[in-house]
Amino acid sequence: MCGIAGRILKSPGKVGQDLVELMDAQAHRGADSTGFAVYTQPRSSGYVLRGMGFDKSAMDADLSDFENLLKDHQSNLLSEPVITSDANKHYCFRMEIADPDDLAGWVADADTLSHRIEVQSCGRSLEIIKDIGSASQVADKHGVRDMVGSHGLGHARLATESSVLPNASHPFWARPFSDVAIVHNGQITDYYTQRDKLERQGYRFLTENDSELIAVWVSVQIKSGLTMEQALEKSISAIDGVFTFMIADVNSIGFAKDRFAMKPIVLIQQDGGIAAATEEQAVRRVYKQEAEVINHDGPSLSGLWSLDARKAA
Amino acid sequence: MSEVVIEVGDRPIRDVNEDIQAACKPGAHLRIVDTLSRHNLGIGLPPGANIHFEGSVGYYCGGLNTGSTLTIERNAGWAVGEGMADGHITVDGYAGMSVGAAMIGGTIHVKGDTGPRCGVAMKGGNIVVEGKIGYQSGFMAHSGKIIALGGAGESCADALWEGEVWVCGDVKSLGVDVQVVEPTAEEVAEVDAILEPLGLKDTSRDWRKMVSGQRLWYFESRDASAWLMI
Repeated sequence: MCGIAGRILKSPGKVGQDLVELMDAQAHRGADSTGFAVYTQPRSSGYVLRGMGFDKSAMDADLSDFENLLKDHQSNLLSEPVITSDANKHYCFRMEIADPDDLAGWVADADTLSHRIEVQSCGRSLEIIKDIGSASQVADKHGVRDMVGSHGLGHARLATESSVLPNASHPFWARPFSDVAIVHNGQITDYYTQRDKLERQGYRFLTENDSELIAVWVSVQIKSGLTMEQALEKSISAIDGVFTFMIADVNSIGFAKDRFAMKPIVLIQQDGGIAAATEEQAVRRVYKQEAEVINHDGPSLSGLWSLDARKAA
Repeated sequence: MSEVVIEVGDRPIRDVNEDIQAACKPGAHLRIVDTLSRHNLGIGLPPGANIHFEGSVGYYCGGLNTGSTLTIERNAGWAVGEGMADGHITVDGYAGMSVGAAMIGGTIHVKGDTGPRCGVAMKGGNIVVEGKIGYQSGFMAHSGKIIALGGAGESCADALWEGEVWVCGDVKSLGVDVQVVEPTAEEVAEVDAILEPLGLKDTSRDWRKMVSGQRLWYFESRDASAWLMI
């Protein structure tokens, strides 16, 4: 029973603040961990990395090895990493890096260090912040309320199928596809079959979490020629289980909902902005006045909200 | 008796519900304002009070009602009137999933559409929907009537027990083990009697009455065709 949310602003602004509100309202849906995917001002070159190191006492050595790996791929740090930590053993980092020679190749090499240091998002615009704790705890620790951007996703996790670990929190990045993130409420029942198929095509997964699988699955469909809308529609019949997920890239947020209509999604579209969530009371945190609430309650639904359409509104 | 106004806003729902309970005397009129689609408003109400929610409510509003009259001015979230024993709930707008789940008595009247599984596992009472009922409505309803005037979604009346689903308009698809039967004049009169006090009686309606096919009631494992139904 996780809680998910998506938010598109009419024009770039404090989208982090709205995502925290959306998730704080749904904190009861998942007390294990909370995460946010924020799409900040896109850069023309270079990537923002967000991630986690698992042993604070080895931080200097791990970061140094990570930096050397960047250099092997003709990349380097554009500024000093920003580290966030508390009493827990893990720490979180934000880095800006120059373009590696081959993004997928570098991500594959970086993943060899993932037992020590894990890249959790990579994008021109995307930044994923996730940690153990409630929406307000994670927001306070990582300064999410001050994050400025155009759109984003949020997730409150009630762990069911994989562990309560900081790196098993959502959102998930569709590694190695830059700027694609997912939040998901549900369980995929043919997880190992689907994962096996993707692994045979060379894709890697850092967790046993089914949401990570959907993100990569959708991205692979798009890589093979489908539009995001077509990939979302296909997911309803191609993936087994109960699910509602929202997936975002630099230009849009899309959603898909299973054949059994078990996991809700509601939204308010107003003044060129969109707030979508599992529960209506969450979107009412953003739009406090009574408004037209769209309930996507039926089975087998999908859709896409694009930033371009928002600008036209 | 004068009207009592109770504000919801961002107050703890426990405090709001304590205020509602304290004011819920027989014949009392309560107006609940600034509802903000909050969950769990007005649970376990005693008989005899009139409560008006000025705005949308979240999940479980009016759950376990024992005989009060509730009106919700806008939309209701999941499971409005879940497990209610008696009373009357009116939703002016849309109602989410599982309207009247496992209710045993009373009436729920939704003026808009409902989400999936309207009347799931209900054991009595009536649900009247002026719009369309969602996917798999009537699922495993043991008793009572679901009456939809604006059609039904997919898998309608799936795995019914002794409940009945009455639909006017388009039914997207039937669920498993459903029989559509021609209602008798007496049965139609019974439904009209439920609709009349709501101002919805119209004798010209073309009804589809759905009841259980009874093949899944006492599942016979050697019956291969029964397996194929599910």
